[in-house]
Amino acid sequence: MGNNDVVIIGAGHNSLVAAGYLAKAGRRVVVLEKSSVVGGTATTDETFPGFKISPVADTAGYLSDEVKTDLKLDSQVEIIPLDPIASSPEPDGTHLAIWRDTARTVKEIERFSPADAAKYPLFVERMTKIAGVIEGLLKLTPMDLPSVGLADIRAALGLAGPVLKLGRKNINELLRLLPTPVEDLLNEWFESDVLKGALAASAVKDVTWGPQETGTTFTFIYNWALSDTGLFRSASLVKGGIGELTKAMAETARGFGAQIRTDVEVKSIDVERGKVTGVTLANGESIQAGTVVSGASPRTTFLELLDARYLDTSFVRHVHNIKYRGSASRMHFALSGLPEFPSLAGAETDGYLRGPIQIAPSINYLQRAFDHTKYGRVASAPYLDIVIPTVADPSLAPSGKHIMSVTVKYTPYALRDGDWAAKGPEIAKLVVDTIAEYAPNFPGLIIDQMLLTPVDLETVYDLPEGNVNHGEMTLDQFFHMRPIPGYARYRTPVEGMYLCGPGCHPGGGVTGLPGQNAAREILKDAK
Amino acid sequence: MTQSYDAIIIGGGHNGLTCAAYLAKAGRKVLVLERRYLVGGAAVTEEKFPGFKYSVFSYVVSLLRPEVIRELELAKHGLQIVPLDAAWVPMENGDQLAMYADPTSLREEIKRHSKRDADMIPKYSQMMYQMANAVKPILGYVPPNPASPGLRGARTLADFGKHLQSLDKKTFHQLSKIMTMSADDFLAEWIETDVIRALMGISGIIGTMLGVKSPGTAYVLLHHYMGELDGAFTAWGTQKGGTGGVSDALASAAQSYGAEIRCNAPVQQVLVKNGRAVGVVLEDGEEIYAKTIASAADPYVTFRKLLDAKDLPDDLVSAIDKFKFRGSSGKVNLALDTMPKFSAMTDPAFLRGMMEICPSVDFIEQAYDDAKYGAFSKRPFADVTIPTMTDPSMAPPGKHVMSCFIQYASYDMPEYGNREQQRDAFGNAVIDTLSEFIPNLKDIILHKQVLAPWDIEQEVSLTEGNIFAGELTLDQLFFFRPAAGWADFRTPIRNYYQCGSGTHPGGGITSGPGRLGALEILRDGN
Repeated sequence: MGNNDVVIIGAGHNSLVAAGYLAKAGRRVVVLEKSSVVGGTATTDETFPGFKISPVADTAGYLSDEVKTDLKLDSQVEIIPLDPIASSPEPDGTHLAIWRDTARTVKEIERFSPADAAKYPLFVERMTKIAGVIEGLLKLTPMDLPSVGLADIRAALGLAGPVLKLGRKNINELLRLLPTPVEDLLNEWFESDVLKGALAASAVKDVTWGPQETGTTFTFIYNWALSDTGLFRSASLVKGGIGELTKAMAETARGFGAQIRTDVEVKSIDVERGKVTGVTLANGESIQAGTVVSGASPRTTFLELLDARYLDTSFVRHVHNIKYRGSASRMHFALSGLPEFPSLAGAETDGYLRGPIQIAPSINYLQRAFDHTKYGRVASAPYLDIVIPTVADPSLAPSGKHIMSVTVKYTPYALRDGDWAAKGPEIAKLVVDTIAEYAPNFPGLIIDQMLLTPVDLETVYDLPEGNVNHGEMTLDQFFHMRPIPGYARYRTPVEGMYLCGPGCHPGGGVTGLPGQNAAREILKDAK
Repeated sequence: MTQSYDAIIIGGGHNGLTCAAYLAKAGRKVLVLERRYLVGGAAVTEEKFPGFKYSVFSYVVSLLRPEVIRELELAKHGLQIVPLDAAWVPMENGDQLAMYADPTSLREEIKRHSKRDADMIPKYSQMMYQMANAVKPILGYVPPNPASPGLRGARTLADFGKHLQSLDKKTFHQLSKIMTMSADDFLAEWIETDVIRALMGISGIIGTMLGVKSPGTAYVLLHHYMGELDGAFTAWGTQKGGTGGVSDALASAAQSYGAEIRCNAPVQQVLVKNGRAVGVVLEDGEEIYAKTIASAADPYVTFRKLLDAKDLPDDLVSAIDKFKFRGSSGKVNLALDTMPKFSAMTDPAFLRGMMEICPSVDFIEQAYDDAKYGAFSKRPFADVTIPTMTDPSMAPPGKHVMSCFIQYASYDMPEYGNREQQRDAFGNAVIDTLSEFIPNLKDIILHKQVLAPWDIEQEVSLTEGNIFAGELTLDQLFFFRPAAGWADFRTPIRNYYQCGSGTHPGGGITSGPGRLGALEILRDGN
């Protein structure tokens, strides 16, 4: 089969975005997906009969507007914005919600600290400007530091606007803040544990660090830069589940002429004289193409699909040194009704439960939960990020019934004692008990439940060590260092071979950016 | 009102004395004002118990800038550093790790723990040497304001950029990593043996309320690696007669150039007239005038205590209030009746070096986790030296002094009661932990002095007891030390300068800030 220009390995959302752009540019593209559905970690299925669950990724709020427009996704899917964007029940029975509307949030914060309420609007304004600069950086192809070319400088000029908007004094502030712990940033602004916990939670949701660790201000701003809410976390669902979004991406790519094949497993990437020639499938079939793009993780791509003899030892050493360290589990429940949070007594419960609910009462709570991971232990009081998607989208479950999806932290992949097979039930119980502390009627509502541990995430979704981002989102694995130093421009040591997954700049989340950036670089090389 | 001077230096710590020496050498009439009865700040030797002399606070010397030693002819004034020849670690299983200075013995010892590490450690040292060389020129830069650098700052930034571009890619990538990673992650890329990683990791946490697994601590490894002793990297030593000898040498150099030093002269306030510093007021009300005032105190004291906030721009006040001190280390100084016996030690010669109570990475990390919410480590990390092994004059014949640098203890530990109770509880945890490794310790203690971070603040005016006059974290280095726009040793008050460890290149007995501060003062024609 010699009629393909490009083979893309995996049909996760970044692969599909890359496929869309490349096919749109006239390339003959074939996408090869191991499982029977497209979407990678952004899928929706009926895990429990009648209940449509998005097992791994579930928020659509980080998707780049440009990708949405270029790939005509707007017309195919309905995005449901959630509000509040974060809602925190507290152990003492109080409740803080953060809304898209700043004035409404200020009123909520007033109940905890008038001083914080007064500062919050300025905080939002300042962080929005800083995030504007970072947004520009996230959309760039990283420079090959320390050598900077003319083209890099031209590309970076796009940052000039947001930098000017930021103002000179705040440039220093941005430089100072990036490497700080998010705890320090929040302590500089606020006094209320409740507010600080609610804000810090989103900074650590997708990394293994606790909020006291350097670099978590970066993840905080990363989320802020890309989120649909214009605030520190995204809060949007896709009607029918996130799988509808990746299905639409596949449709678009097909519309541009791409071929998408499911149930085909790539066994190896084939190379001749330092140049990629195509791939060989598990069934022995070989597919030839001058360009191979891998949406798989760097670990899978370089250590499993590619023969090590095509790579030099220092490259392989760097790949081995990538830190994954997944520490989140996912848990899903089918519920017979809506849980009741006494902290919301008197409020319009439904309204509050539309948005994500965070069990993150304070920075110390989050940090103590994290401390356990350092010794390979599961947090005794976990941080939970909960979404009840059926409040905003009742079509996901039978009438009157609900789904609850929970990100559970911290549950480290590398357990010091015991193995994951035995740990599962213990964690499931921990999650139920923890939620019950805040919503006592919860255990009685459970019809069915399912837990995905970091090991499950690795086995089922090819996520190394269960890390959804194909590599920790830390400062030493950012920009010119992602996925490894010297290879951050989507190219690899093998000519014609590229990466397009979240292991590349800018990283994880359903953003479409790694896929879009990779496609741009591939088309540039063809010129 | 007394006579007037060209320059007054506030604080007779090693940086204040260095600054004074450089200014006096350039012909300025200089007065150093020291709050305590002796010069040295945190680099002092005191006879705490009759016959027993201690380097009460700072106790090892490795970072002193060679250009300072040369330019101030410190050897002539009594500087005499005796190298420490080994670092020794007792392990929980009764084994030991001995890091010999001699490469052959070192290799044999490492091989005993891991063959792979025996091969990797020379490579690691080579890499760190290259990086230290790559960073070294930066230690001599005057940090510009990155947002509005001005002409001279732009030139520094351009030099800085050119310097980075001149590095080979490998070094640049390693630098990117070391600036952002945790000490333990960084070391783990090279070294597999837990106890070796523990020992090497501790240089990443000294003086900081962070653990070896906290990102950002790898840089501090490099900071300590830049220590130069007669040009040799990573050599650590002690001053003959105690660390106070370093300060005495600096004081003697300053005096030889004509500087005047007054002890027992605590400065209460800097006198500001029309945005210009004109003198100082001592606590007893005496006013002393000078054309230039330089503060060697830490940034909090320099800006928030010695000045009135109304004389400073709001953003500087807020930057200083955000500056992190967070003292994390304490000191326990013991007078011993006889030699301590470490149960794991195979050769008493190791007592001449540094003994590190850091049997595993988990041990250190747990020590950090115990302390970080406002307490002290139940089993703290200790860096132990017995100066009397190499310098018997520090104690009566046959007796010993033992100096223990301890991490971690918080500035405030309210769950243990008042300050005295906090100190006692902390001291007991230290002695108990040391006793696990030195069974005869409790029987041979004659006297003990315990210093928690709060005590360090009281004694030597280091805010929250931070030994580096402000944490050495990425957001508090270079441009940002102590605040963006004010990292060039100047202040918003004309003729008022900074020259302490709270400025670039930071803490440790380096004399770097004192020298750079003096050069900036002279550059301004003051």
